[in-house]
Amino acid sequence: MWSRREDERLLTGGGRYVADLVVPGCLDAVFVRSGVAHGVLSAVDCSEARRVAGVVGAWSAADFPSGLHVPYTPSAGLSAEEAVAGREWPALVKERVRYPGEAVAVVVGEDRYRAEDGAAEVAFQVGPLPAVVTPRAAADDSVRLFDGLSNVAFQGAAGEPIEESVWRRAAVVVEAEYRQQLLMPTPMECRTILAVPGGDRLTVWSGHQAPHRLRGQLAALLGWPVDRIRVVAPDTGGAFGSKSAIFPEYVVVVFLAVLLGRPVRWIEDRMESMLTATRGRGQDQRVRLAADADGQLLAYELTIDADVGAYPHLGAGLPMQTARMATGPYRTPRVYATVRSVLTNTMATYPYRGAGRPEATIALERSMDALARRLRIDPAELRRRNLLPPESFPYRTPTGRVYDSGDYGAALDLALETLDYAGWRAEQARRRGDPSALPLGIGLSCYVERSGGEPGGLHEFAGVEAREDGTVIARCGSASSGQGHETTFSALVAEELGVDQVRVELVEGDTDELPDGVGSFASRSAQVAGAALRQACELLVQEARARAAGLWGLPVAEVAWSGGAVSPARGGAAMDLGELVKATGPLRVEDRFESDMGFPFGAHAAVAEVDPELGTVRVLRLVAVDDCGVVLNPMIVKGQAFGSAVQGLGQALYEGIPFDDDGVPRLANGLLDYLVPTAAEIPPITVKDTCTPSPGTPLGAKGAGESGCIGTPAAIVNAVADALRLADPGVLRMPLTPDVVWRAAR
Amino acid sequence: MKITLTVNDEVHPLEVEPRRVLADVLREDCRLTGTHLGCEHGVCGACTVLVDGRAVRSCLMLAVQCDGRSVRTVEGLRGPGGEPHPLQRAFSAEHALQCGFCTPGFLMVAAGALAADPTIGEDPDRVRALVESNICRCTGYEPIRRAIVRGSCPGSVA
Amino acid sequence: MKPARFEYTAPRTVPEALAALADTGRDVRVLAGGQSLLLEMRLQRLRPDLLVDINRIAGLDRLGVDDGMVEVGALVRHEVFDSPWAVPGPLGTLLSLAAPNIAHPPIRALGTMVGSLAWAHPASEWCAIAAALDAVIRLRGPEGAREVPARDWFRGPFETARRPGELLTSVRLPLLGEGTGVGFIEHRRTHFSFAQVGVAAALTVRDGVVVEARIGLANCADRPVRARAAEQALVGAEIGSTLFARAGRVAADQDAAPLAEPYADVEYRRHAIAVLVGRTLRQAAEGARQ
Repeated sequence: MWSRREDERLLTGGGRYVADLVVPGCLDAVFVRSGVAHGVLSAVDCSEARRVAGVVGAWSAADFPSGLHVPYTPSAGLSAEEAVAGREWPALVKERVRYPGEAVAVVVGEDRYRAEDGAAEVAFQVGPLPAVVTPRAAADDSVRLFDGLSNVAFQGAAGEPIEESVWRRAAVVVEAEYRQQLLMPTPMECRTILAVPGGDRLTVWSGHQAPHRLRGQLAALLGWPVDRIRVVAPDTGGAFGSKSAIFPEYVVVVFLAVLLGRPVRWIEDRMESMLTATRGRGQDQRVRLAADADGQLLAYELTIDADVGAYPHLGAGLPMQTARMATGPYRTPRVYATVRSVLTNTMATYPYRGAGRPEATIALERSMDALARRLRIDPAELRRRNLLPPESFPYRTPTGRVYDSGDYGAALDLALETLDYAGWRAEQARRRGDPSALPLGIGLSCYVERSGGEPGGLHEFAGVEAREDGTVIARCGSASSGQGHETTFSALVAEELGVDQVRVELVEGDTDELPDGVGSFASRSAQVAGAALRQACELLVQEARARAAGLWGLPVAEVAWSGGAVSPARGGAAMDLGELVKATGPLRVEDRFESDMGFPFGAHAAVAEVDPELGTVRVLRLVAVDDCGVVLNPMIVKGQAFGSAVQGLGQALYEGIPFDDDGVPRLANGLLDYLVPTAAEIPPITVKDTCTPSPGTPLGAKGAGESGCIGTPAAIVNAVADALRLADPGVLRMPLTPDVVWRAAR
Repeated sequence: MKITLTVNDEVHPLEVEPRRVLADVLREDCRLTGTHLGCEHGVCGACTVLVDGRAVRSCLMLAVQCDGRSVRTVEGLRGPGGEPHPLQRAFSAEHALQCGFCTPGFLMVAAGALAADPTIGEDPDRVRALVESNICRCTGYEPIRRAIVRGSCPGSVA
Repeated sequence: MKPARFEYTAPRTVPEALAALADTGRDVRVLAGGQSLLLEMRLQRLRPDLLVDINRIAGLDRLGVDDGMVEVGALVRHEVFDSPWAVPGPLGTLLSLAAPNIAHPPIRALGTMVGSLAWAHPASEWCAIAAALDAVIRLRGPEGAREVPARDWFRGPFETARRPGELLTSVRLPLLGEGTGVGFIEHRRTHFSFAQVGVAAALTVRDGVVVEARIGLANCADRPVRARAAEQALVGAEIGSTLFARAGRVAADQDAAPLAEPYADVEYRRHAIAVLVGRTLRQAAEGARQ
């Protein structure tokens, strides 16, 4: 009756998101925020706020321990000690405001209304300083965010520098500049945290992708052992990368809950998220792409100035994902990518669906189309000549990745066939001969990405427990925010054990249930947690056979396992797991599993029509062919592919953060200004897949879910460039708003 | 102020401040947390409920405005025997929800329109207008459109 | 954010409402549809002392036709005009072309046309139409009833000729003569965004020559604009794409005073106004019975 296990509760109002939890005596925290992007804070006065009815307390940084800071995120190299050294991120502003919306005080009240009444009474002043909101503007250090320190917080490179002679000798060199605009992940549920003290422990509820990581960070912050903290991620209303971190507000809420000995929660308001939600992307890029006269790629150079926001704690190292994936799906012999991570007066940059791979793909694929135009080679043909062939795997790229497996050409062919590429080229030719027809373009984008995580974080923890009543509890360290883990993982465990699905229950997102865990990000859950669950199932079967062997006085080799039950191999009555537990006691195994990285890939194709008079773009068709290896649940994976393609459409055409001269985002009308796609903007989209199993993971699964953000934007931008026959692709700066397209078309 | 709301056929005598918005009163005073707040400025539609049968944004309506009126929320969508509404089944069948946060709003927009006109699923333009009323960040909308058609026209598959 | 504290009253009659509104020492606001007012209160850009909820006043939801005019009461919701038959003739068509551009159905179920005129958002569809047709806004206040034509009504962004204590009770719009062609087109970035430009047009054409032209512009200045210079350029001239393009240029250069917005600087906006006026005129001409 219900396609997913999650569906019944979510469709009937029975979901439990953090804001839905009823905790007696819970207080609401509201943050008082700077409207100035960069400035010197003075004279914070909370005294009036404390007198407001229903207000329990109000605090500024002066009322807090001086060491109350936001920890940095070392996972996956997102940040590093050298990037944050000397650059503290105080939980509340002490002297310097570095991004608009940075919290200068917190008011706690009996409910949100009363806390806001109090917040309105907090007085403070910020003496404005010049603000810098692009990495180019910030990199020269004429305005410094941290006195005495450069705004360049991190530098890195992938590959080897390319000799100038390579460029000189090439038949064609495409040079271009691209801007990967800042985006907001915009899950429908904003950030949430609820901290409930009880006894000597603290329970923290948060819509979060990595509860064990949060537990560790909070324990370090409080100086407590981890077992005094329980972090639970209940139903979570989307995340897209943005909910795996710890934020200033979380630090403050947890500190206050402990200080007051009362439950305190912060339910982020959409309007405050406009200033303070993490940003994704944010790169100024320069590229050089060299080819010979036949279109064989000779060299590719990508230079990245990355906007990492006001504090390097969350994403200073994130642009290295772009650098390492700069090679893309091609056999380019020389690839070199450099990164400069620059502080700006904006909220911190952090992974957003795709996290570094969209930036790599968009730069390369836009350049490929420009190269095809220069060489007058069909862009599909140009790609075919350069795609890594299936026999080249494992393939070590010049930028240091080892691609696991792929048939990149097959994905491209399927995309072209699904689109009816030849048919649209004919329509394009027809329109070019008809002065009354709107110009039409076809854009392609081939991508390869990385899933699972980075070395040091490619593992996950999982456990399986058989109970007397015949049910099985599966536990893992991941946390779902809409991906349907209860459905997919329960089915996986049921199949591995040969038991009925209804007997399997998944428990995840609760640190008390499993000693350790990593989480759900980097498209890792199926690939890594799924494999960890399978391994745990194998362990459980081993243990069951060993116990049965003991029980029956047989060698283990003579105990068979089939259909969720042990039986003597030479014949005899089978005993199912429940009976075995009754006979031998509790049966629970836990294990850690280590995966390899996976490299999903695909090809996206778009057809777009441009109204050059107004600059409007209408996408007529979008085809997404993705290969994420073995798919565990086709319905869910297809849903992920479709939804992420629509986010990719938003990135290409609609979403962006404009700033005023003072460096404040012009988003005063919230979602009327930050424009995510609505149903009216959705073209006909066809999602298809090819399947090349990953040799590096036991299930053959690679990560799914980020493909659309990675593959789709360049396909759309290329379609617009093709429609307008643009020589310089760089003039199309995303988002392709009507004014941008109109100027490009002139 | 003292007000009376009839929510999902149940009478709730309440004492509320005039400034309390309907969504907060439903969630906190009536303990019906299926109505979600996604933006609190009338755009996303996660908080959509039916007031006297009409779909409205419960974040842009005061509870006191609804004194004496009838409100239906996602919790009141099941039939009298507890059976799921055809739209609830259809949303599941079409995988029209992922994180589920926006889902109650889409269900109520569609349920209100369907109650007013049972033939709405036959008119693609009107179905499209319903889907265009709210924001979903997970699904890409197309599954929601199919689900509304499916839930409106029993037996049909869009 | 949540609204700040306020007092609330829900009068049953217009005189009761006027009595409540007479408290001019405080910030008193009328709550009709509330879809803009409550939004601004939620953002705490407005913190009124008292809300006068007029939704329980009988008779304000009247929509009636007399004397070649339609009178739209203060509680007639946007959604009424989704149907081209709500109001007779070409005016009904024009209103139904504009209505779907106003937010989305749940907002249209509560918001009101008269409320939009009171709010006077520069990008409002109804305000542009009111400007084009020189609608008459009817008010009642401490000094009795009065009427203000749209040309005197809009004073600036969110500023009108409403005096303290006054209540807008209705708006009267001229029914357009049979044979008048109408057009309404908006240019926006997504379905949910404010219009970058909106244009309303009504054309009367005889023997291929424009007899009367009405053009209203949304979000083309700091207030709704009637494009009189463009109208003048049209009257007496022969219809056709050249004329419409020229009228568009005149509207953009002489009638409009667009401000820069993110993703639309003044140059682009002027260009878009010219294009959109031309297209809307073409749409109107196609509907005109010649």
